[in-house]
Amino acid sequence: MTEAPQKATVLVADDDADIRVLVGIAVRKSGLELVGAAADGNEAWQLVSALKPDLVVTDVSMPGLSGLELCQRIRADGELSGTRVVLLSAAVDEGAHLAGLDAGAIDYLIKPFSPRELAERLVELTQPTTARP
Amino acid sequence: MTIAAVVNRLADPNPSPLLKQSPTTVLFGVAIVMVAFNPVSVTSLGAVVAGTIAAILATVLAGVLTAIPTVAKFVLLVPAIDLIAIGFLRYGTGESLSIFSSLVILPIIWFAAEEGREHIWFAFIGTAIVLIIPAVAGQSDSSALSLMLRAAFAAVVFTIAAAVINELSRQARLRLSSVRRLAEERQRALESNEARTNQLAASEASLRQAQRMFRGVWGAVTQQAVIGTDLTGLIDAWNPGAALMLRIDAAEVEDKRHVDEFHLADELEDRARELRYPAGATVLNPGFSALVEEARLGSAEVREWTYRRADGTELPVELSVTPRLDDADETVGYLFVAHDRTKAHEVAKLKDDFVGLISHELRTPLSSILGYLELMRDDDDEQLTETQLQYLGVAERNAHRLLTLVGDLLFTAQVESGKFNLETHVQSMSPIVSAAVDSARPAAVRAGVNLIDEIVDGGMVRGDSVRLGQACDNLISNAIKFTPAGGTVTVTLGGEATHVVVSVSDTGMGIAESELDQLFSRFFRASTATRNAVPGVGLGLTITKAIVTAHGGEMSVASEEGAGTNFSMKLPIEQPVWV
Repeated sequence: MTEAPQKATVLVADDDADIRVLVGIAVRKSGLELVGAAADGNEAWQLVSALKPDLVVTDVSMPGLSGLELCQRIRADGELSGTRVVLLSAAVDEGAHLAGLDAGAIDYLIKPFSPRELAERLVELTQPTTARP
Repeated sequence: MTIAAVVNRLADPNPSPLLKQSPTTVLFGVAIVMVAFNPVSVTSLGAVVAGTIAAILATVLAGVLTAIPTVAKFVLLVPAIDLIAIGFLRYGTGESLSIFSSLVILPIIWFAAEEGREHIWFAFIGTAIVLIIPAVAGQSDSSALSLMLRAAFAAVVFTIAAAVINELSRQARLRLSSVRRLAEERQRALESNEARTNQLAASEASLRQAQRMFRGVWGAVTQQAVIGTDLTGLIDAWNPGAALMLRIDAAEVEDKRHVDEFHLADELEDRARELRYPAGATVLNPGFSALVEEARLGSAEVREWTYRRADGTELPVELSVTPRLDDADETVGYLFVAHDRTKAHEVAKLKDDFVGLISHELRTPLSSILGYLELMRDDDDEQLTETQLQYLGVAERNAHRLLTLVGDLLFTAQVESGKFNLETHVQSMSPIVSAAVDSARPAAVRAGVNLIDEIVDGGMVRGDSVRLGQACDNLISNAIKFTPAGGTVTVTLGGEATHVVVSVSDTGMGIAESELDQLFSRFFRASTATRNAVPGVGLGLTITKAIVTAHGGEMSVASEEGAGTNFSMKLPIEQPVWV
């Protein structure tokens, strides 16, 4: 046990650089630690495998692996059981939402999102009460 | 000339009276000439003169009767007068010694040849008058008896001759009339035969024409597959379109394969389940009954199916199934007309992809715009001035407007492609309407419009709160947009027996009556909107109506130009408020 609880680590994946920066700002505002940013699905998978972050905030439609595939791959990997996924998507229909939850994401945000709300959500998601056993 | 006409002419039963009279006239004339050359034979000149006058009279009468056929019924007067004339001639030329007694046979033949047995008696009486009466009247007792016997014998002979002639001519007439009847019948038969032959030729020609037409159409239809089957689905007709679409020739399928072999078994099974397994399915064609059920029940069915070709490839088709009827209107098979839907499906997918892409590509930059604007507003390190905040507000409002527009376009596309799902719950409309009114307040204040709400919980509805909220938002924001400053927008919620009614009224510019029915069409903008430069693209009401319709409700509108407009949406009540 450490004295002070360690900051939760977050990795962001989005093919749009401005969105990556925006998510990064929200992460910092929420007091979490941004450990990496990926511009496509494959890069994201390499970083997730290497860094094993607590949270991955990923876009759904990206070159290479899609956000959904990334999420499924993380869920299928026993070593990444501590990594949780939040999906960001520009799709608005219910089907996309459900597909995201089916793939194992813990939350699904629709673009455009409010950085303030994202920060609040990230804080909630990393609270000990919502942490996995 | 027809046969009947020839027979008729040969057998003319009515020679003219003058013709019949002519032998008597001629022979009487010969007798008079003979008397003139041998005057000693005359025993009574007066009788000869009287006879001559009578003969002339009979001949004249025959002429008159010939000329005037309407008085032909008096024709027997002619032989009667002849008898009198011959009677006088015979009396005047030696009575029973007269060489002219045989003349009497001519009028007797005339009588005898007339139709009817009674004419035999006329002949007998006539003969008696001519031969017997003068004998009895004019002679001494001794010779009277022998004269009378001679005359009576001659009269009997003439009468029997008359009877024979009468009978022969009767038989001839009978034969003639039966021949004539036969000829007429034959003529009629010939005519009707000829008419029938003509009819047959005409209908054969029109049949050939119809056949040519049919073959032309059958061969020309290459973009649609037309397949005919019997009642069991065995194919008996396969047009070039079917050969092209399913890549197999008619010779390989006609009378050999069943139509359901070209369908997907799963689709047939699903449809059969939907129809609760209609009767008529057999081991040979388990899915066929599902395919033709509605056609069997008498309606023409059009629905989408998937055809599978012999090579295993598949194509979507729009298939219409109709019954084939025989002369007694009994169903003897089915006709399947299939239209390839591959292109239509590709276009629909392209459209979906395009809308998805546009939506994604527009929403991503909007995410950055709105996100960074928010960061700017929330920046605690550098406080913004009042003016900067105001400018920021304008930018944010317009970014949201763009976002709404993108959402509306996407939603409209979803409605159109039928991919519009509702997440429904039983709920009250009052929080939804209240929220819509509250969110419209800032806009109403900005526009200087008085926004009033009269909300009574009218009952529970089964609905998607997000979509219903969107519908209310659309109606209220429209009302505010179309109402000049100082006007009033009233939002009411209430219940009826079977419906919950949300009504939005304004005191705005109104809508022309001629435009009311187009109001809910996509991209339609009322003339009052364009004239007064009210912003918008014409999707709000389309979307609102689509939402209300999807909830099983109804939209209605009433408007008066210059006075205001009222929009109402009626949603079916799920649970009355008092339950």
